[in-house]
Amino acid sequence: MGQLYQAITEVEENISRLLGEVKSLRQYVEYLEEENVSLKRQLCAVSEADTERVQKNAARIQKEAHENLEKLYSEGFHICHIYFGENLEGSCLFCNAFLRKD
Amino acid sequence: MKIICKKEDLLLGVNTVQRAVSSKSTLPILQSIKMRTENNYLWFEATDLEIGIRCQIPVNVMEEGQVVIPAKLFSEIVRKLPDTEIKIESQDSNINIYYYSSDFVINGYDPEEYPEISDISSSENIEIPATIFKSMIKQTIIACAVEETRPVFTGILLQIEGENINLVSTDTHRLAHSQSVIPGNQKEFKGIIPSKTMQEIYRLLQDDDILYISYNNNRVILKFGSVQIITRLIEGQFPNYKQVIPQTCGTKLLINTKKFLDTVERASLLSRDNYLKTNTVRFNIENSAININQFSETGKINEKIDIDQDGEDVTIAFNAKYIIDVLKVVETENILMESSGSFSPCIFRPEDDDNYLCLVLPLRS
Ligand SMILES: [Zn+2]
Repeated sequence: MGQLYQAITEVEENISRLLGEVKSLRQYVEYLEEENVSLKRQLCAVSEADTERVQKNAARIQKEAHENLEKLYSEGFHICHIYFGENLEGSCLFCNAFLRKD
Repeated sequence: MKIICKKEDLLLGVNTVQRAVSSKSTLPILQSIKMRTENNYLWFEATDLEIGIRCQIPVNVMEEGQVVIPAKLFSEIVRKLPDTEIKIESQDSNINIYYYSSDFVINGYDPEEYPEISDISSSENIEIPATIFKSMIKQTIIACAVEETRPVFTGILLQIEGENINLVSTDTHRLAHSQSVIPGNQKEFKGIIPSKTMQEIYRLLQDDDILYISYNNNRVILKFGSVQIITRLIEGQFPNYKQVIPQTCGTKLLINTKKFLDTVERASLLSRDNYLKTNTVRFNIENSAININQFSETGKINEKIDIDQDGEDVTIAFNAKYIIDVLKVVETENILMESSGSFSPCIFRPEDDDNYLCLVLPLRS
């Protein structure tokens, strides 16, 4: 009888430990949900002006990069991935396609 | 080895394998042709280790055997032999050639030292009618690079996907793409075949042959008629060629192929001695006509070809050789030229035929 009693006590202890873990997990999930909501709020708070500024900046950088590549090509260097930076004799279909695509 | 054969058969064998004989190798044995008997046939073999060609001719075998014989001397003596029965007999590594009551002896090499052209043990076979493949090679080999730091450009990409077969080549200044259909095929293959091999296939393939292709990872064997060609594939990735083909165009022209070719060839006579390095030809396209007005130290040319023009006027300059090359392989009466301006690649294709196109990039000036 003593053994059986001890076994039941052990099961009881295990269940209460598991319950504790579930409780702390629930708290963690609640915290994550809260953070998610607040992050979404922050994202929406970025003003249109800010967005536009970032986009313009990206476009400017891209344009500058494109111009630099075009300059490199016209000065007689490959800008395609096959020969990048090597001397260009005449013209190159792959460089040309790369400049058109951009 | 002891055989009796006809001069014309010997000549056929020598001519078939001769271009696989190494011209660069310092190993004398690679500048030779191997001959071996097999069931009343004489096999000719030559290899430069990149490409190997074999072919068989019927002979009367009196004693089986094999010989390795210097290619240049042997091919010259075969050409000069009288048109009579020829007996060839080996004695150690020497080869005796008997005709009438005369004989000619050539010092050969030990056949055991000749490199084996090994077979490809694959049961997978792709069958292509010769006429289709020949015309596709002719249309694409023009755009292969001759010498290149990137070996992939010295070959032709062969891509077979089910019934579709594609050949693509580019030297980065132009690109040729030919496609066709192999009815009933379900197998797949993708590999870059050296242009020298393609040239040999084109030279040796007869119109009524069927070409059988088998392959493993890095080699391909092509069999047709009494010929077998074994070739190494070029390692490396062929660049994505579809991205360089423009999808729209601003000017569409329909031009008589023959007139266009004659005109460009005449213009290139003048520009050849131009101070410019390349042989430039400049087209002024307006009012449904192509105008060429060029001069050099030796003279000048003014030509006008009437054409069908749809779209904007354009002035565009090319390396004349590139235009002549494509005009020579287009067999239709008229050629379609699609331009998207002076700096964009121009598409040339046969009238009413979507299976071939050649893309040529204009010269920048
Ligand atoms: Zn390039």
